[in-house]
Amino acid sequence: MDNIKKWRTPVLIVFLLLGILISVQFHAQQIFQSNLSLQSTDDLTLILKGLQDKRTNLEKESQDLEQQQQALNSDTTNSASLVNNLTEESNQLKIALGVIPVKGPGVTVTIPPGSSIVYLDLVDIVNELWASQAEAISINDQRVTTWTTIYWNKEKMTITVNGADVTFPCTIKAIGNPDTLMSGLQLLGGILDNLAVYKIYPTVQRSSELDLPGASPPVFHYLQTVPQ
Amino acid sequence: MWLPILGLLLGIGIGSTLAIPIPGIFAKYLSVALLAALDSVFGGLKSIIEDKFDGAVLLTGFFTNALLAALLAFLGDRLGVDLYMAAVFVFGVRIFQNLATIRREMLANWMQKRRLSAQGANKDG
Repeated sequence: MDNIKKWRTPVLIVFLLLGILISVQFHAQQIFQSNLSLQSTDDLTLILKGLQDKRTNLEKESQDLEQQQQALNSDTTNSASLVNNLTEESNQLKIALGVIPVKGPGVTVTIPPGSSIVYLDLVDIVNELWASQAEAISINDQRVTTWTTIYWNKEKMTITVNGADVTFPCTIKAIGNPDTLMSGLQLLGGILDNLAVYKIYPTVQRSSELDLPGASPPVFHYLQTVPQ
Repeated sequence: MWLPILGLLLGIGIGSTLAIPIPGIFAKYLSVALLAALDSVFGGLKSIIEDKFDGAVLLTGFFTNALLAALLAFLGDRLGVDLYMAAVFVFGVRIFQNLATIRREMLANWMQKRRLSAQGANKDG
């Protein structure tokens, strides 16, 4: 320990070299560990096993997800067809209710102005048309539905249909088989004959294409369905 | 005392700035060489403490041990004998022996100093 000068230089050299050696080896070891081809078989086996496990897990996950996707797909298909069915049904019901416009062949009954017609005559004509298998009827573009009213308004001194005044010439359109409807109206002793007694001569025309408007849908406040 | 530590830090700094690329296969031999170098360094420290230091012995030991260890490990790999393991074992054992000796010498020195100072105090009193 006393003779410091004697050992200073060699020790300095040796420690310098040792430092270089340590850092170089440190770097080399880091490279070595990140290089697969230089790993031992044991380590490689471990790595391989880990990766295989991972792969199996991922495959399982992928299968699960595929199944989920299929389930979702079939779900969407089902709901899409359900929506289609419901739309169709809803359309059928709307047609039956008369809340959407319809068209088709039929007849037009026109009552000229100045006729001494009463509301019961209109009701009779409509009833006769229904009896002749009309599928849809409108009076002056007011659709005749299950909740239609036809009556004499005393204040206004007019016939009203669905609350709307009937103006003349009044046209009654009916969709159905034109021949059946015509024969129903022109029946001997039928509605036209009856009206002729009161000097009312409506004109009846066949039409290949009639456009009937839709009624506004009914609003229910008190109605409840009865479980079947 | 600070000089060797400074040298070591300087060496580490030089080594990391140069970043000498070592092929992966040689990393193993370099590790054996490093072990041999460590053994030489501890041997040198021990000789300093025992007052038997010789700079030539340290330097030659450092280089030849490191080179020989790497060379033997390399040769062992060529021959299919794990001389690498032998080098690791021998140098490992020697490093621990050297460390033990250094510890014992330092302890003995410290005890002697204390006894001397205690005797001096007794004489004074």
